[in-house]
Amino acid sequence: MNERIGVFLCNCGGGMKNIDFDTLGAKLGHVPGVTFVEPMSNLCLAEGRDRMISRIGEDNPDRVVVAGCSPEFQERLFRRALHEAGLNGQLLSMANIREQCSWVHDGDVTAKAVELVKMAVNRVRLLQPLEKEELPVRREVLVVGGGFSAIGAALELSRIGLPVTVVTREVSLDGSGEPQEDFHGCDINAMRSAVETDPGISVLTSARVVATRGEVGDFTVAITREGDETCGRYGAIVLATGYETGTCLAPGLNSRAENEPIGEASIVSQEQLSQMLRSPITVSRPGTIAFVFDFCDENSRFPTLATLSNALAAREKWESEVYVLCKDVKVDSEGAEHLYREARECGVVFLKCEDVPRITRANGRVTIEARDVYLGEETAVSCDLLVAEELRSPAGGTQTLSSLLGVRLDSRGFYQDENVHLYPVSSEKKGVFTIGECRGDLDVGRVLTDISSVVMSVCQLVSPGKIEAELERVHADPQKCVACLTCVRVCPHGAIRLSRVENGKEIAVISDLACDACGVCAAICPAKAIQFEGYRDDQILAQIEAIGEA
Amino acid sequence: MNGRIIAFCCEHSAYPAADLAGRLRLSYSGDVRIIRVPCAGQVDVIHMLKALEKGAGAVLVVGCEDGACHHITGNTRAEERVRHCHTLLDEARIAGDRVAMYNISPNAPHRFVRVADEMVKTMEQTREAR
Repeated sequence: MNERIGVFLCNCGGGMKNIDFDTLGAKLGHVPGVTFVEPMSNLCLAEGRDRMISRIGEDNPDRVVVAGCSPEFQERLFRRALHEAGLNGQLLSMANIREQCSWVHDGDVTAKAVELVKMAVNRVRLLQPLEKEELPVRREVLVVGGGFSAIGAALELSRIGLPVTVVTREVSLDGSGEPQEDFHGCDINAMRSAVETDPGISVLTSARVVATRGEVGDFTVAITREGDETCGRYGAIVLATGYETGTCLAPGLNSRAENEPIGEASIVSQEQLSQMLRSPITVSRPGTIAFVFDFCDENSRFPTLATLSNALAAREKWESEVYVLCKDVKVDSEGAEHLYREARECGVVFLKCEDVPRITRANGRVTIEARDVYLGEETAVSCDLLVAEELRSPAGGTQTLSSLLGVRLDSRGFYQDENVHLYPVSSEKKGVFTIGECRGDLDVGRVLTDISSVVMSVCQLVSPGKIEAELERVHADPQKCVACLTCVRVCPHGAIRLSRVENGKEIAVISDLACDACGVCAAICPAKAIQFEGYRDDQILAQIEAIGEA
Repeated sequence: MNGRIIAFCCEHSAYPAADLAGRLRLSYSGDVRIIRVPCAGQVDVIHMLKALEKGAGAVLVVGCEDGACHHITGNTRAEERVRHCHTLLDEARIAGDRVAMYNISPNAPHRFVRVADEMVKTMEQTREAR
């Protein structure tokens, strides 16, 4: 009980008018173990931190409490300041007297602020220092996939100096089979040649991932290619496996065959229509074209953009009558709203329908019947060419890869983002990332963003060749662990393994690199063998003790 | 400690939501004391019971929305533990609804305020009923 606790009270430049800092300081000065209470004005600014470091130097506390804004903001900054002042950065506890006290209650809140700081003091008393070590990490990156996302990511990763291996099960990159000149503004042919000629990128075609081992920084991946199996070691893995399209047309209404000339009542895909529009050969132009989308699959960013641009192109190039039947036109992609307006101004007719339209073929025409929401009655559109709705589903092999790598799928079978808002390209397994259409409903703009995001994340992770990891933040006591495997099964990040220790006993060992610090293992261990430094039972209970002492 | 509401808030959802409530200057009861945890799944039954033993009026465990737990199943585990806590409390003839689990998104400050207000009301009703 001979801790020396230094308390810094920050009033955030006067932004907490309903706390009496003098009273607060006075009350805290009486708390056993508190060596000093220093009121500050802007602790996070340079002068504030300098003052903090020098005060620590003067009074030699062995642990620090900072009361002020939310730890979500500046905890890392203050930990670094402690480190600069010669203290272990872990020996810091923060009291959120701003967002969770001053700013949410009317009237004087000094009493609550006192309690919150006392909670932090109680916690800091029990904190243990944590050592950090730089653990080596491999710089090689594995990219699984051969389409636009995979090619784009491989190029960017190689550009920043990381050795890249691209694995695709197709016979060549960009497995659409047809070279495309202009993929939504990106010259995919040039990109593919760049990948094939880049000495830093090795491309394995007709190859599949069959097994993986290891963790972030050192994944061992077995790849089969024409019967031969090779093993590679990688610091990070990027999944860019794309999607497949399927039809949602009723059976019997099949699409047009490859070489069937138009002129007959035809049902085509978006891709086929795009090709017709791009073709320099004058084809007999369809008099009336209809598009159907957004009924079977409401995740329709890509189909929306394709429909809008093709509809516009058909009006401009062929002057056909164009009808679009859909439930909604979702324009959240960049440029979509503008395209929609242009299409309407150009004379494309949009019909909003609730139910899936009924499609029939007769007398050389395709007829689409549906209930128009605005007219409130049944309408029928009769056309020469129908562009049918396509269903997008995860690429074949996604299930297999998902279980091989321990990366989850969402309810539609696409890869699950670690956090939709904050970490869209990460998976729950550290070091495994997912980009592009294999994540679900994207458009080209978002795919490009994915590529930039993953390059940044991978670069941060593996480029320095080492990661600074906190050692044994979550750690199983060898005396208490009975190797029941509960934690191994429960860890959402696959970070726990059984390992033999010095005396020959097998215990659970939590990887410092792969652990994501959730604490679920600590809570579930039946023998209470796992403790999570910073959130140990005694450290949480100590906070509860401080509540109510006025 | 009478009348205090201890809220175990997970750092990926409830804690940022509470911070956001502060930045928007929303208002809720001054009796709420937030304890930051890395995941709702880290909160153990002993933590909830100790809080009640010390005299807390109510205990909240707030985690990520269903299906959106940052650590996949943390919120589900928390729910099971809260339910187990209810069983124990019923046996001890203490009102079970003084311990509750809520799910929240990090960008839902108004929901945080509603949850806090609801818990205050439950706590007051329980106190009157005693």
